[in-house]
Amino acid sequence: MIIAPVENVAQILIVLILATAAVIIMKRDIRSLIKTYAFQSLLLAVMALLLFSATGSLTLLYLAIIIIVSKVLIIPRFMGIVAKRLNIKRDVKFHFLSPTTSLLASIVIILFVYLSFSSLLSELNRFNSSIFFLGATVGMSIVFMGMIVIFTRKQTITNIVGYLTMENGVVLFSLFLTELPLLIEVLIIVDLIMLTLIATILAFGIDSTIEEFHNRLNPFISPPKETPQKQSEDDEQ
Amino acid sequence: MTLSLNMILAVYALAGVAVLALTVFSKSHRTMNILSIVLPAVYLVLTLFTLTYGAIPTYSLGGNYFLIDHLSLYEIMICSFLFLLAALYSYGYIEGSIEIHEMDRSSLKLFYVAFNLLLMAITYAFFADNLALFWILAELTTAFSAVLIVIMNAPKNIGATLKYVFITSTCMLFSFIGLILIFTLTENNLGSGTLNWSTLMSVASTLSPGIMFAAFIFTFVGFAAKSGIVPFHAWLPSAHSKAPAPVSAILSGCVTSVGIYGIIRVYAIASQTSELPKISWFLIAFGLISMVVAALTMLNQVNLKKLIGYSTVENMGFLLVGLGLGTSLAIFWMLFYTLAHAFTKASLFFSAGILHHQYKSVRMEHIKNVFKFQPFAAWSLILGGVAIIGMPLSAIFLPKIEILLQSAELSPYLLLGLLTVFLFVAAGFGIFLIKLLSRKDEDAPGVKRYEASLGMKIPIVVLLIAVFALGVFFPQQLTDLLNSIVSELGIR
Repeated sequence: MIIAPVENVAQILIVLILATAAVIIMKRDIRSLIKTYAFQSLLLAVMALLLFSATGSLTLLYLAIIIIVSKVLIIPRFMGIVAKRLNIKRDVKFHFLSPTTSLLASIVIILFVYLSFSSLLSELNRFNSSIFFLGATVGMSIVFMGMIVIFTRKQTITNIVGYLTMENGVVLFSLFLTELPLLIEVLIIVDLIMLTLIATILAFGIDSTIEEFHNRLNPFISPPKETPQKQSEDDEQ
Repeated sequence: MTLSLNMILAVYALAGVAVLALTVFSKSHRTMNILSIVLPAVYLVLTLFTLTYGAIPTYSLGGNYFLIDHLSLYEIMICSFLFLLAALYSYGYIEGSIEIHEMDRSSLKLFYVAFNLLLMAITYAFFADNLALFWILAELTTAFSAVLIVIMNAPKNIGATLKYVFITSTCMLFSFIGLILIFTLTENNLGSGTLNWSTLMSVASTLSPGIMFAAFIFTFVGFAAKSGIVPFHAWLPSAHSKAPAPVSAILSGCVTSVGIYGIIRVYAIASQTSELPKISWFLIAFGLISMVVAALTMLNQVNLKKLIGYSTVENMGFLLVGLGLGTSLAIFWMLFYTLAHAFTKASLFFSAGILHHQYKSVRMEHIKNVFKFQPFAAWSLILGGVAIIGMPLSAIFLPKIEILLQSAELSPYLLLGLLTVFLFVAAGFGIFLIKLLSRKDEDAPGVKRYEASLGMKIPIVVLLIAVFALGVFFPQQLTDLLNSIVSELGIR
């Protein structure tokens, strides 16, 4: 059972994690985006350690170690290198929603998740514990917020940050469910696939939007390739 | 004679590891190719052997991570057969790709290693009893197939691969949330949570319908993305058209069926709750939307492989409709449709591969005088096209008619909608093939004829014979197999 002071600290941590997700939605600067992500992961690791100290479940300890090694140290370092090599500094243009609208949309999402969880999941005993309910709601909201980042940002590197944020949401959700089979293996596989993806981008030196990016920067120097050549259509369909 | 499951699984793994090790140490393309023909052949024999002599279904001891039942063996049979033919086809195709500098000889080893790993991941995904284990293996199939797409020397392939990995992985996270919900649900009911499909099946009727429906939707998102259901399909046409032809055939026939297999498994659990009508309509709606979107896009395609890719989206949608109908007859024919579709689609992609090497492109404007240069590919395309739109005598005809009849019982409007979509699809295929094959340019100088090797033609011939033979003759063994799958899925 989780005792009261631990629960209070855990609640504060959960709210802080939600705040970092909001910062990720708002940030345009790639460097600080990556730093925010690393900080979010660190909070998650602290949370896992806190729960470990309260419950003594070894899975939580392993989770914390994996999070610190991969999400706090390796992945952000790697992404920093990619951003530097490809010379991407800022997200300039957004699909569908601007950061501010995205933030408003995510507030709506949090409310929606809260309402649907409290009506749908009330019959499960676990969800009657307030800390678990808060963790599940915030975790789910962060998953959707990460998805907003993926939808609205144009660059692959920011999309990866969005994906990793989604994953952090799932981890937050499952921190309270350490009996879940193969949880650690799932996290390792996901992290490895993302690392390979980042490595691929780095190795080929190609951000799928980098041409577009340069075109946007110098619209007068090199006019966008909107000739009826089938090249662009090839990608659209 | 009884076989222990652990033994069977160990033999599959040993064969895979042995082939992988030999591939890593082999030097010539020929050796690597033969090795990757041997592995699916071994798997095919093993599967047939287990099917005949094994006591099915069997579960693995120690945590129930694996399960062998008729459905998993059936899917593995289809996939290993396709892998066998794709490997046979690969030698000629990859040599051709190296000749036109689409691929480097140095990446040959990586290609065959990823090829064999993909087969192993798919096989074990079908054997997984634990849904979390299935999730992991499904993610691995994405990773290995991504390697097979990115291996070509083209920047566009990297873009297509990134899109593929990204969309499917994002959606698969939702699947994992669905699994978390299922786990908490069973924990609430049983005291200790479980994700084992066989256990879940036995307690399914006691689970809370509302939460099970939510969990079904979440898991559906990820598995639907893996099988290219609209609106998660954006990756499929580009990945299928950029991949080398044997890989496109595998993606279309095997990797998409991993997603459908996941949906079938979770459907089997959720269909035992009182929310079954909602789930049925949910599946039918998504299936129908996929079919409509794919059919309309197919009408003005100019890229042969993209056309075939969209046809996959349309067929996956039809599979969902069949699953949504939910009667034992509909499921029976839907399972057979999986096989018929996989075979026909593979033959189409193989034919498209020959055209690709002849014209260095699969876009309409580059393809001319097909009958003069590639009469074989032209005829196999026509036959494959005839088969895929479900003309009588092809294997797709019978399941299509039967599922349509079932849909008429549910609602005549559904039947009308499906028929309209099929009309569009047939028109799309017909118009495209007529345009493509009638393009002539008499005074095209200096075009050299590409000689497709025998190894590239045999798979097409085998597949087309299989497709048309299954259209007129339905073996009793197959009927028994499909019937036992339906009963194991607990379909009433």
